[in-house]
Amino acid sequence: MKLKAKMKKDIAKVKVMFKSPMAGPEEAEKKKIKPEFIAHIIGKVGGKTVYEVSTSGFISKNPLFKFQFKGAKKGDMLEMTVTDNNGKVTSESKKIK
Amino acid sequence: MLNNKFITAGLSVALASALFVTGCSASNTSTASNSSAPSMGQYNGKKDALDGGMTYKRENGMYTAYHINEQSTDKVNNGRVPTANELKAWDTDIMPDGTGLPEGSGSVEQGDELYEEQCAACHGDFGAGGTGYPVLSGGTLESLKNQRTCPGNDAPKRTIGSYWPQASTLIWYIRDAMPYAHPKSLTDDELYALTAYLLAVNNIKIDGEVMDDEYVLNREKFLKIKMPNRNGFVPDIDGPKGVENVRAFFADRKNYGAVGTRCMTDCPEEKVMRIGNEITNVVPPYSQLKDLPEKKTGGAISEAQELYEANCALCHKTDTMGAPAVGDHETWSAVMVKGMDAVNKNAINGTGGMPAKGGNMDLTDAQIHDIVDYMVTNSK
Repeated sequence: MKLKAKMKKDIAKVKVMFKSPMAGPEEAEKKKIKPEFIAHIIGKVGGKTVYEVSTSGFISKNPLFKFQFKGAKKGDMLEMTVTDNNGKVTSESKKIK
Repeated sequence: MLNNKFITAGLSVALASALFVTGCSASNTSTASNSSAPSMGQYNGKKDALDGGMTYKRENGMYTAYHINEQSTDKVNNGRVPTANELKAWDTDIMPDGTGLPEGSGSVEQGDELYEEQCAACHGDFGAGGTGYPVLSGGTLESLKNQRTCPGNDAPKRTIGSYWPQASTLIWYIRDAMPYAHPKSLTDDELYALTAYLLAVNNIKIDGEVMDDEYVLNREKFLKIKMPNRNGFVPDIDGPKGVENVRAFFADRKNYGAVGTRCMTDCPEEKVMRIGNEITNVVPPYSQLKDLPEKKTGGAISEAQELYEANCALCHKTDTMGAPAVGDHETWSAVMVKGMDAVNKNAINGTGGMPAKGGNMDLTDAQIHDIVDYMVTNSK
């Protein structure tokens, strides 16, 4: 996961790139691999959810997400947690600049 | 199967006749080939030579693959030997062994900021690529061997991490050619910072060390970089054995895709693919009109707006490129604090990631003023 969060005035702008083949059942069969895609993404600042999305194989491989939110300040920790369809959880935190 | 006669069809008459001579004596190829004049090419009878490959006789029983021009070189001006200074100005490349590599240092984090400011507009976030501009990260070594025709495989994606054999090319290219709008504007420290960032987004480890945000790249560490695809190229052209390696590689036709054996006589007919269902008639017929689309007269579109759409809108339409978006009142009032003259000057000379005159040097200063006027008016 590559994570980047930056304050622009009072808005926190986040760019995040996940590593995943994003292969749903159909694509996995074609590629002869096990289905593996990100199923759920959640972003939290200080325990408060700022971004949450359910996804599936329709998103591109190694997808890039951008979002922005109000209410954070410089130095806050943004924690992104990703759950894939096989239940594997990856998590990364980064300070908002 | 390749038929030699087909290949030589386009060659000059002289070559073709030389081929014809050897073609006649094809039954006893071993002895009959050395009789023609030195300047005339001979077909190389070696079984594994390139199709259509010729050898030319030189002095002392030597042969070469190139025709030697024996015309007089009198009155040909070959220039002069360059002076030491001229040579120095030209010989500025950065080599893998560290020749020409500047001193300096920069961290991944600094590189990240620079990248965001000057590179991301074209190369995308995290080097993911933009429309029409090179992708800098991603791809895998394994995918380079995949054929594009298999739907189940990832297409070969050539990026810094998956393809480039040397990091010196990266820092050299950035120094000489980037950023696109104003190359050679980066300091040595900035070069190291950007290189560090690009290596980091490609997950490259230096000396076993993962490059995190705080990683500082300098000359010493740079020389320890071993790119993932370092040994992916054949033949190996480096070192004293380089030339021999290349020769050995090209001597075996199988190395570059040759299949089967060459046919010289009584060849089977070539199989030619033809279009099965050719479209000969279209109803209604294709338009033959070559006029430009009719220009809309009247309406509210001013000249300045048209120029803006053509030259500036790509970056200024939204704020995704980091440029102040037209219509964004807050950002523009912050910009206008500098005063109209300063804004005009920045538009003409460029500032930050913005190239001079938005990259179109054909615009006159007066036109730039009009465009800026238009953009400011529409952001109030």
